[in-house]
Amino acid sequence: MATEAAPMDEKAKRMRDLLSSFYTPDPSISNNASSISTSFDNINSTSFDADQYMDLMIKKSNLEVLLQRHVQMAAEIKNLDTDLQMLVYENYNKFISATDTIKRMKSNIFGMEGNMDQLLQKIMSVQSRSDGVNTSLFEKREHIEKLHRTRNLLRKVQFIYDLPARLQKCIKSEAYGDAVRFYIGAMPILKVYGDTSFQDCRRASEEAIEIIIKNLQTKLFSDSESIQARAEAAVLLKQLNVPVDSLKAKLLEKLEQALDGLQIKPEEASKLAEYNDSSKDEETNDQGPAKIHEDAVRGFSEAMRAYREIFPDSEERLFKLARALTTMHFENMELYIRKRVSAAQFLGIFRIIWEDVVLMDEVLPEAALSDLSAEAAQVTLKQFVARTFSHLQQDISDTLLKFDINQKEVLKVVLEASRKAVLQGTADIFQGFRQLLDENTVIFVKMKDLLIGWIQKGFQDFFRSLEAHFLVLSGKTSSSNETEGLIEGKSSDKIQAGLILVLAQLSVFIEQKVIPRITEEIAASFSGGSSQAFENGPAFIPGELCRVFHAASEKLLQHYIDTRTQKISVVLRKRFKTPNWVKHKEPREVHMFVDMFLQELEEVGKEVKQILPQGTFRKHKRTDSNGSNTTTSSRSNTLHNDKMNRSNSQRARSQLFETHLAKLFKQKVEIFTKVEFTQESVVTTTVKLCLKSLQEYVRLQTFNRSGFQQIQLDIQYLKAPLKETVEDEAAIDFLLDEVIVAASERCLDVIPLEPPILDKLIQAKLAKSKEHNNNTVSS
Amino acid sequence: MQGGSSGIGYGLKYQARCISDVKADTDYTSFLTGTLSLKEENEVHLLRLSSGGSELICEGLFSHPNEIWDLASCPFDQRIFSTVFSTGESFGAAIWQIPELYGQLNSPQLERIASLDSHVGKINCVLWWPSGRCDKLISMDEQSIYLWSLDCSKKSAEVLSKDSAGMLHSLSGGAWNPHDVNSVAATGESSVQFWDLRTKKKVNSIERAHVRNVDYNPKREHILVTAEDESGIHVWDLRKAKIPVQELPGHTHWTWAVRCNPEYDGLILSAGTDSAVNLWYASASSSDDKISESSVESPRQRVNLLLNSYTDYEDSVYGLAWSSREPWIFASLSYDGRVVIESVKPFLPRR
Repeated sequence: MATEAAPMDEKAKRMRDLLSSFYTPDPSISNNASSISTSFDNINSTSFDADQYMDLMIKKSNLEVLLQRHVQMAAEIKNLDTDLQMLVYENYNKFISATDTIKRMKSNIFGMEGNMDQLLQKIMSVQSRSDGVNTSLFEKREHIEKLHRTRNLLRKVQFIYDLPARLQKCIKSEAYGDAVRFYIGAMPILKVYGDTSFQDCRRASEEAIEIIIKNLQTKLFSDSESIQARAEAAVLLKQLNVPVDSLKAKLLEKLEQALDGLQIKPEEASKLAEYNDSSKDEETNDQGPAKIHEDAVRGFSEAMRAYREIFPDSEERLFKLARALTTMHFENMELYIRKRVSAAQFLGIFRIIWEDVVLMDEVLPEAALSDLSAEAAQVTLKQFVARTFSHLQQDISDTLLKFDINQKEVLKVVLEASRKAVLQGTADIFQGFRQLLDENTVIFVKMKDLLIGWIQKGFQDFFRSLEAHFLVLSGKTSSSNETEGLIEGKSSDKIQAGLILVLAQLSVFIEQKVIPRITEEIAASFSGGSSQAFENGPAFIPGELCRVFHAASEKLLQHYIDTRTQKISVVLRKRFKTPNWVKHKEPREVHMFVDMFLQELEEVGKEVKQILPQGTFRKHKRTDSNGSNTTTSSRSNTLHNDKMNRSNSQRARSQLFETHLAKLFKQKVEIFTKVEFTQESVVTTTVKLCLKSLQEYVRLQTFNRSGFQQIQLDIQYLKAPLKETVEDEAAIDFLLDEVIVAASERCLDVIPLEPPILDKLIQAKLAKSKEHNNNTVSS
Repeated sequence: MQGGSSGIGYGLKYQARCISDVKADTDYTSFLTGTLSLKEENEVHLLRLSSGGSELICEGLFSHPNEIWDLASCPFDQRIFSTVFSTGESFGAAIWQIPELYGQLNSPQLERIASLDSHVGKINCVLWWPSGRCDKLISMDEQSIYLWSLDCSKKSAEVLSKDSAGMLHSLSGGAWNPHDVNSVAATGESSVQFWDLRTKKKVNSIERAHVRNVDYNPKREHILVTAEDESGIHVWDLRKAKIPVQELPGHTHWTWAVRCNPEYDGLILSAGTDSAVNLWYASASSSDDKISESSVESPRQRVNLLLNSYTDYEDSVYGLAWSSREPWIFASLSYDGRVVIESVKPFLPRR
């Protein structure tokens, strides 16, 4: 049932419903919806069934509620009654006022018809009078009109008679525009009556027009006249039906000739660029060539604008001209950058060209000049980037080759200089490219991504080719098929070993310092190049470059050692090939090849000291080779000492057996260890390789007793100085012993020198070399 | 003395330098090797790979009067071979025949068919006619090349011709061109020289110092491989002898010997004094006319060219020979007298 909160609302709503049902003709329509929703308990619906409602009520509610309901209903009914009464009264009132109004209207209309008739009569009389006036004035008006027409005709005749004089006046005052206007105005009349009444007049004015045409033509061709004036002249000529095509052709030819003057010649370009820069600083300096050039181009574009207006059909030709100028500009630019050009200069020229293009583009937007120049600019820019890198490579290689390697201590200088060249060169390149990137010209902004791609790729390619170039310089790879010329001349000469060492160290430098730096730089200001620019090849990959240079540095270092050992090898070969070892005489002194050997080593040491860093633990280095090495060397020492005491050839076999056994039980001494970038490592490797060579040479010979003793003496002498220079003593000991063993194996009659004699000879040699040294020092 | 990974070992009693494939033996894979001992009695060993390929059997052991510096098996008769030997003071060369029925004899003696006595000087090597039954031989010393005609039945050898290279060249070895039997390559102090046997003139040369060893590519005409002391291995095209077609890094120390595989093109074996044998693959394409391309690419490829390095040696390796019967097998001989047979089957290029 209804809650206590909203009885009033409900009541009002019901009231309204009731009233609306009262007024609406068919209550079933409006109440349809609500009647369905409130089927039984809605008292207001049409389908309300009182009996059913009662039943439901009685069933659902107790007595108290029913009573309450009863009271409520009775009140409602009373209310409804009063409301209905009120409504009836109100309606009645409205009826009464309506009848009153109708009555008043009826009385007002009465008497209107008489007034209307009067009005009609008056209007009729006004019309008849106006007709009378009209007819009386008609004749006069006709006359006036006729007179007016005659006057106009007379004025025209007067104009034509005045035309020659007027034209003359115009010629005098150079008001050709007016003259042409007058003449064209008079044209129709002259055409019709020119042969009869106005014959003289026509002839005179035609003569005047002749003069005018002539004047206009001269004006058109005179360069001193402003373009504007010339354009006007052309327009006038055209109005006079003078054939302009030939004129046009002539003019365009002239324009073409003007192109030559607009060229930026490579030789002048740098000047132009400079002035362009300087004129920025001081605006007063207007007379710089750049300004002149700009003015010229401005004039050119103005002319084009004028011509375009004058000769609308000549557009194609003008397009061609403009394009020609643009391509010419870029071609010249290409020539220009063939020389060494800084980025600023490049930009200067580029700006000028771009300004020109913009100027022309304003005049001829349809010529698609900006597209054309964008393409050309791309090509040029790409070339510029490539050229910059090749210049850098050239610089570096020049720096490397500039010095005379044979001078003392020069390697250090070369290394420093080339390091500097690499760093400075790359820094310069970065600076230049940054300038390019900072350039705000539209075209550069467009190409930024491409440019970044090119720069990255440029660096990648640059380092690759630098590596190849290093290898060529070092003579490791022959430069047969590519890059001839300067390098070729050098590589056919003997390549200085020192240079190879410099290259090796430079490669390390590039790997460790330069490439990370460049990676940083690229990440800082050249990242995010569009990936399209280098779909095919990868852009800058520092990891790969590091690998490449790492490999190159190792290769070069190895090559350095190779060249050095090769040199020593030649000495050794001579030493062993020349004498007849089977008929060798008793050893008198240490052979001089030892000196040469040591001298070469000294040279290596000198070079290495200039360039490579020192190893960290100098003398302790040997400990990291196997501990058993020391025992090995002592083992072979004892073996060697044993051998000294034996002269019996019978025991030689057991000796051999012993060497085999010794070899079986010792670990292989690592003779060929990896070379490191330290002074000691390089020297040690060189010594090891040379001693191994020595051993191999010994194995190829057959010695008599004295020959063997000579070898023994030489090796004994070598021992001390070698140990001084070398970090891996154990290996050297081992190798020196190996030489002796090899000699003893190849000896027909093994009787070693007695230690005292050995000592004595070595001391003699030492004294001698000391004396020699003193001599050289004193002298 | 068995040892190493896959290799089959065999120990000689003394030091040794040379090993040769017995080409004429079609039934077995066999090798001949000779010792180099100044003071002991030298031996020639005939080694045979057992049919299973797992064992190296000594088929024959013969004493040889002098230390052997070079040994070459006759290409058409498995019982004949040549040696170059030294008495310590002088060198000599001889052709030997292994006696028949040597298996039953207790101490079989080698039969000397012919002595190349008229060749005096420091003989380096004896070369057999490269293929087929032909009785021509070449012996080489530092200055001259002798061409011999061998008559096995009469047991004599005659000098057919003698070419002198001159004092300065000091030839150190050579190879007979298998594609052109009139051409012989000889390694010298400063170059590799090519001699025409008919005109007895030097026809061509590769200016390259310190070439230790040279071998023709038997599968490909004009291709030659050289081994050098310091600068590794080079592959040459004889038509363009100025620049090597390919460069292999070689060994840590000298590269002593180099051998082209008789069957698989591009497979090169090298032995070095750094106690290692390296197996290389020199790509075949580079020997075509696309030299420029390959040389541009080569720096990066070079690393991959080394197929394998056999380092299980105690001393420098001087002797090296492919088996012609089973071309994936090679024999190597280190100075301490150890023969090692290895198979390169895992590294064969796919065909």
